[in-house]
Amino acid sequence: MNKHIGFDAIVVGAGLAGSAAALVMAREGLNVALVERGQKPGSKNYFGGAIYTHAIAEVLPDFMERKPKFERPVTEAGFWFLAEDGLTKMVTQGGKLNAEPADAYTALRADFDLWWAAQAQAAGALLIPKTTVVDFIRAAGGAVVGVMTDRPEGEIYAPVVIISEGVNNLLTQKLGLIDHDLEPAHQALAFKQVISLPAKEINARFGLPDANHGVAASVLGDVSLGLPGMGFIYTNKKTISVGLGVMLDTLAEYQLRPYEVLQRYLEHPAIAPLVAGGQLLEYGGHLIPEGGWHDMPQLYTDGAMVVGDAATMVNALHWEGTNMAIISGKLAAETALEAHQQSDFSVRTLAGYEARLKEGFILKDMKQYRRFSRFLETHPEFMGTYPAFLNDALGGFFSAYGKPKRQLFTEIYQSLTGRRSLFQAAGDMLSMGRAVLGW
Amino acid sequence: MKRGDAFSVKKLPAQLRESLPAVYVDDWLVSIKYFVDEEESHLKIQEDELCARCEDKPCLYFCPVNVYTLGSDGRIQVAYQACVECGSCRVGCPYDNIEWKLPRGGYGVAYKFG
Repeated sequence: MNKHIGFDAIVVGAGLAGSAAALVMAREGLNVALVERGQKPGSKNYFGGAIYTHAIAEVLPDFMERKPKFERPVTEAGFWFLAEDGLTKMVTQGGKLNAEPADAYTALRADFDLWWAAQAQAAGALLIPKTTVVDFIRAAGGAVVGVMTDRPEGEIYAPVVIISEGVNNLLTQKLGLIDHDLEPAHQALAFKQVISLPAKEINARFGLPDANHGVAASVLGDVSLGLPGMGFIYTNKKTISVGLGVMLDTLAEYQLRPYEVLQRYLEHPAIAPLVAGGQLLEYGGHLIPEGGWHDMPQLYTDGAMVVGDAATMVNALHWEGTNMAIISGKLAAETALEAHQQSDFSVRTLAGYEARLKEGFILKDMKQYRRFSRFLETHPEFMGTYPAFLNDALGGFFSAYGKPKRQLFTEIYQSLTGRRSLFQAAGDMLSMGRAVLGW
Repeated sequence: MKRGDAFSVKKLPAQLRESLPAVYVDDWLVSIKYFVDEEESHLKIQEDELCARCEDKPCLYFCPVNVYTLGSDGRIQVAYQACVECGSCRVGCPYDNIEWKLPRGGYGVAYKFG
């Protein structure tokens, strides 16, 4: 690689945020290098998961004509509360979820991210794969003016660098934008299996009329042994993605092996029939930065901005993160464009990135949910006690015992108070309100 | 930064512990595609001494692909070839004793589905 190779902008990492940023800048005529350490975009990327079209549309209004690599639209979404031997569901289907295009589509990242990066390439960005960025090139005053890669003579210069390195925030730390690793207590280790099943079989098992319908479920309770964590199930065209995220400190403290927890989930009496006979296509794992607001790095410095997971832009309760990644990439790109117009790449212009984030939903939501990760840590009841209670209560309600109903209600009431006093339950609900509503 | 006191081992109720099925994770790992860097490991234990002093050795448990195992000599063995680069050991090692780098460009895990 030529030592003096120069671009108008460098993006580190061709994930959802990085390719969005590269696309927006390249489309406006900037000369963009999109540096990716994987064999190809998507090789390193991993999620549940679903992609939200509102974010795609903000970057690429005509995305549907470009045949995005979606799996199925999410036409049914909800919570599945898993007890040791039972399941209570709270799901919604149709209505808003029948919109065309859908609000969310399930996806597999190896396919989707490759397509997404291809849109940036089509706009003129230069993809440089199989290249790991190891450090920055700084000007005398400290401003970022390029990156050093692991290629021989692999310096690449540009007046602005967008860091979309993902959850392992090595470069963000190198710039001093955050002075510590993210705590194990604020990161979920997510792990899943992609399981192959015929589309017809998936439709039958999940009650879907055809492959243009799909399910996304958050699974709470026994899935994580009642410990801080959340499971998920997503239906894809001919596969299903089944997995869970458990807080890393919880796995360490209870000496849990992720694959054993996942296997236990797959063997649950309510889950086993859904995956029976399926073939394991891929297992894997990835960290999710769930620390939110309090873990956010400084978002910009002279010559650089941080986007996506590297900036802990995740809303764990709502499974949002992919959309924030895309939007943050777009907003950083718009800020870079402004910097080029002004020929000023210092914090004076790049502060506009944070201002743009504040105008939209990202920083508003991050702030509102700032207590949520701590809430899960301190209220394991929502993973243990309450899912089990819900199963008991509804199971009781819909059973004909040949007993007076007053006695049944007393039993249901006692199945709660046996686990949690009314006073504690009221406190739990209040805490949840505070965590979600940001009071 | 030392995190030796980052967490303390808690006991899982026996019934839950027994409900965890044994998994031979190598059977799962064959589903993952890797481009293994035969020349260089991106994971290194900095001081075996520190691992010897680490009582709980949580890396033996939380690594999703079982990179870390205890050798017959009592030292931690690192099967970096199986690493999916999640970063759990980078932040989860109580003694910050793992030198964790990204694999060289093009090497390491290459998810086919993700």
